[in-house]
Amino acid sequence: MDHMLSLIIFFPFVAGLLGFLVNKESIRSYGVVIAGIEFLLSIGLWIAFDTANAGYQFVEFSALIPSFGMSYYLGVDGISLFLVVLSTFTVLVSLIALNIDNDVKNLIIAVLFLEMTMVAVFLCLDVILFYAFWELSLVPMLYIIGAWGSANRVYAAIKFFLYTFAGSVLMLVGILYLGYLYFQATGVWSFSLPDWYLVQLPFNVQLWLFGAFFLAFAIKVPMFPFHTWLPYAHGQAPTIGSVILAAVLLKMGSYGFVRFSLPLFPDATVYFVYPIAIIAVIMVIYAAMVAYAQEDMKQVIAYSSISHMGIVVLGTFALNAEGITGSIFLMLSHGIVSGALFMLVGVIYDRRHTKLMSEFGGLATVMPNFATVYGIMLMASVGLPLTIGFVGEFLSLAGFYRVDWLVTMLAGSGIILGAVYMLSLYKKSFFGVVTKEENRTLKDLNAKELFALVPMVALVIALGVYPKPVLDTIDISVKKMIVLMEAKAIHVETKAFLINANSIGEVQ
Amino acid sequence: MSDFISLSSLNIPSLLPMAILVFGALFIICIDLAVKNLNRSFYTILSVLFIVLDLGVLIGYNGASRGFFDTVLVDGIAILSQCIILIASAFFIPLSLSNRHFKEYEMAEYYALFLFMIVGFQFMVSSDNLIVIFIGLETASLSLYTLIALHNRAKAFEAAIKYFTMGALAAGFFALSSLIFYALTGSVEINTIEAVLKEREFQPLSAVLAGTVFMIAALGFKLSVVPSHTWTPDVYEGSSAPLAGYMSIVPKIAGFVVAMRFFEMLIASDIIWLEYILYGLVVITMTLANITALVQEDVKRMLAFSSISHAGFVLSAILIGTTQANAGLFLYWILFMFTNLGAFSMLWIVRHKNNLWDERYQHPFSKFSGMVKLMPTTATIMGVFMFALAGMPPFSVFWGKLYLISAAVNSGFIYLAVIMVVNSAIAVYYYMKLMIYMFLKEPVANTSAVYETNASTTLKVIVGFATVVTLSAVLFVEPILNIVTKFVILSGF
Repeated sequence: MDHMLSLIIFFPFVAGLLGFLVNKESIRSYGVVIAGIEFLLSIGLWIAFDTANAGYQFVEFSALIPSFGMSYYLGVDGISLFLVVLSTFTVLVSLIALNIDNDVKNLIIAVLFLEMTMVAVFLCLDVILFYAFWELSLVPMLYIIGAWGSANRVYAAIKFFLYTFAGSVLMLVGILYLGYLYFQATGVWSFSLPDWYLVQLPFNVQLWLFGAFFLAFAIKVPMFPFHTWLPYAHGQAPTIGSVILAAVLLKMGSYGFVRFSLPLFPDATVYFVYPIAIIAVIMVIYAAMVAYAQEDMKQVIAYSSISHMGIVVLGTFALNAEGITGSIFLMLSHGIVSGALFMLVGVIYDRRHTKLMSEFGGLATVMPNFATVYGIMLMASVGLPLTIGFVGEFLSLAGFYRVDWLVTMLAGSGIILGAVYMLSLYKKSFFGVVTKEENRTLKDLNAKELFALVPMVALVIALGVYPKPVLDTIDISVKKMIVLMEAKAIHVETKAFLINANSIGEVQ
Repeated sequence: MSDFISLSSLNIPSLLPMAILVFGALFIICIDLAVKNLNRSFYTILSVLFIVLDLGVLIGYNGASRGFFDTVLVDGIAILSQCIILIASAFFIPLSLSNRHFKEYEMAEYYALFLFMIVGFQFMVSSDNLIVIFIGLETASLSLYTLIALHNRAKAFEAAIKYFTMGALAAGFFALSSLIFYALTGSVEINTIEAVLKEREFQPLSAVLAGTVFMIAALGFKLSVVPSHTWTPDVYEGSSAPLAGYMSIVPKIAGFVVAMRFFEMLIASDIIWLEYILYGLVVITMTLANITALVQEDVKRMLAFSSISHAGFVLSAILIGTTQANAGLFLYWILFMFTNLGAFSMLWIVRHKNNLWDERYQHPFSKFSGMVKLMPTTATIMGVFMFALAGMPPFSVFWGKLYLISAAVNSGFIYLAVIMVVNSAIAVYYYMKLMIYMFLKEPVANTSAVYETNASTTLKVIVGFATVVTLSAVLFVEPILNIVTKFVILSGF
């Protein structure tokens, strides 16, 4: 399979183009079938993936603009493998659970295009190509939010688009500057990431470039104070939009940190560890508090996303194997859990056309299956041991504990706060007596919804109990990256920091 | 030097590209006298064939050659820009074969004038003699004024008059500037001027400054650089869409080439204020046009401001002045040409006899409301052009932008690069506005028929071609870049 990765990237694109020819009546099944095949392809990738190899696999390289050093360069390693699987999985389940009837053909084609861009972002090793797909992923999402969202959808879509687009233009200057530095150092133009990994940069250059990349990633994650677009986008987006946005698009930002910021600018990364950790703590606590104050179920989950992404960022900037591996695992678990939660909110919204918690109460008696699935996802979101949420959160915090225990304690309070707002949500909506008459007749989960949600529940428990196969695969690539960071660092303090963060401590 | 002028020293072949089109134009006029009522398709195809013939001759040149008392200079950038001019013309002329009939396309004069206009631009780019450039400029401009007026609408007359009066002013500035440089150096040849000024270390500085400022005003008018951009939206709005699109491409590339020749000479002087002036022009043109475009209510006017902003963007290449930047200018303009061809052809296709949507404007944004529900393919194609113009990867203009920004970064213009990308971010908004109307709003029209009154197979083919180029631009960047860089280096820029 020489062109496995190209196949995974362009299969949904071609299928999307051909989708224009498929009749409106059959398009829904078409979408599910395509997403299913794509998911199987990504599973095939996982099976064929050599877990003992830390480097890039299935590499494809062909020059695209050789005189400018731009190439078609793909590869997958432990860091990106599961994000690809997560993307295809999310698209599949969200298409299964899809219940939108107007213009469904355009929607499904847009989702397939989006799938191409998401997968490509994780697989591209050429930075210009990465940037191209990074920007391109905004377009289908703009359309999905803007065309199928609720009342204020156009505003939310524009805000989402402009915010993220404007954020990443500086990254383009950064990319071009780095390309120029590479040219100066070697006399050859190249925009391929593995080549760039080999260049040592002066400290002040690292600072500037780190800033340029950071802004793009921070807006995408979204990090405080650039998070304001997210509640809007989630509030207005249709269920499928929210699911994909929360499960995959946000991960592009945190993936960017791991793939670009850390290995390219090790000294700047270490220099900025504390400021970023403080921002991450603010994200965790502040977003949790805001989540508690929400009356809209979907907003609670939207803010909880920000809170959890705070822990992801913290884990990444722990700069040790536990922290980074944990944060990548947390990206996966948050993808599954928040995706499922948004889907569940969509389920109840379709039945009642409201997301306000005050409109519900006692749902557990009316919709037992719904309440059960919701409960499991909620526990996973809070980070209950033996659910998927616990593993990543624990490892991320354990990783940062080596760096600073105080910050870790503060961030750890996010778990408690998470339990507070999530359980209060659950209490308000599911427990007690049924107060509203219209809630008595609500139907429980139907077959389609169960079919989408049950695999997620299974994953939440299975990976919560036994995360080892996934963790090991991630870990080996992460360790390789940390070695690279240490080798590349130009300051002695950076090396010392990295060694300190990656060892248990000296014997006195 | 003998007293005789030998025929071979004239190097007549250097004039061949212009001669073919002059012959073509005269031929069209003659045939019109001989045979009455020939169909527009005849003239259109005939003009295109003359252009193709010309292109064939042009491609045969390589290396710089001078001719005609050294006034004509066919060097790399001259060949390159002539190719762009001819290819653009070959695509814009067939837009006359629209479904509806317009009076100007029935007249042979239209085609003759069109060819004369091309000849003017060709002279403009293939000379470093200020007088020949001036003659080329005026030939082209006078033909263009007439072409606009031929459209035979009240707005078209207004546009032609406005363009003419402003153009006359610019022509005056150009003449004045040439005069000052002649007075300073006793020559109108750019390279002689350069040599003399260098020898004198650019003294007296105030006179050089005056000449430069007049030249900037004159070229700025052609390039629609702020502050001499005010004619652009009105003239674009008044002219037919094909001509408006044409104006956004061809006169500007001609202007760029002249600017390149002229400023390359002055930049060599290391006069710091010149860099400041250019820097200011670039930044103001990009930014102001972008901001003004944000509030436009008409798509054509929006595209007019967008083309001003693109011109400002590309002008930065002249400021940067490296080979990479100059190659980037041509790469950008070639890619921009196809995208703008597509965008303006789309406006031409959706043109309706009456202003159905708005009293004032022919193409208000609301006209395109919910177009995706009525004509998904058309809306998608229009969307592709808009995103391409916005510099969205991986569509055409992005690669031009990338290369130019890279040129800026490589020569230490980091702040300029940042201003350029920030402007791209601003620009996204107004292109997106059209997308929002097309994709996110409810349709205003009940049937797609109102959008198709002017669509013909020819137009669809042209749009289809432009779409394919815009979409698959990444594949063409390398070959274009190789050719462009070769020619730019060849002419020493």
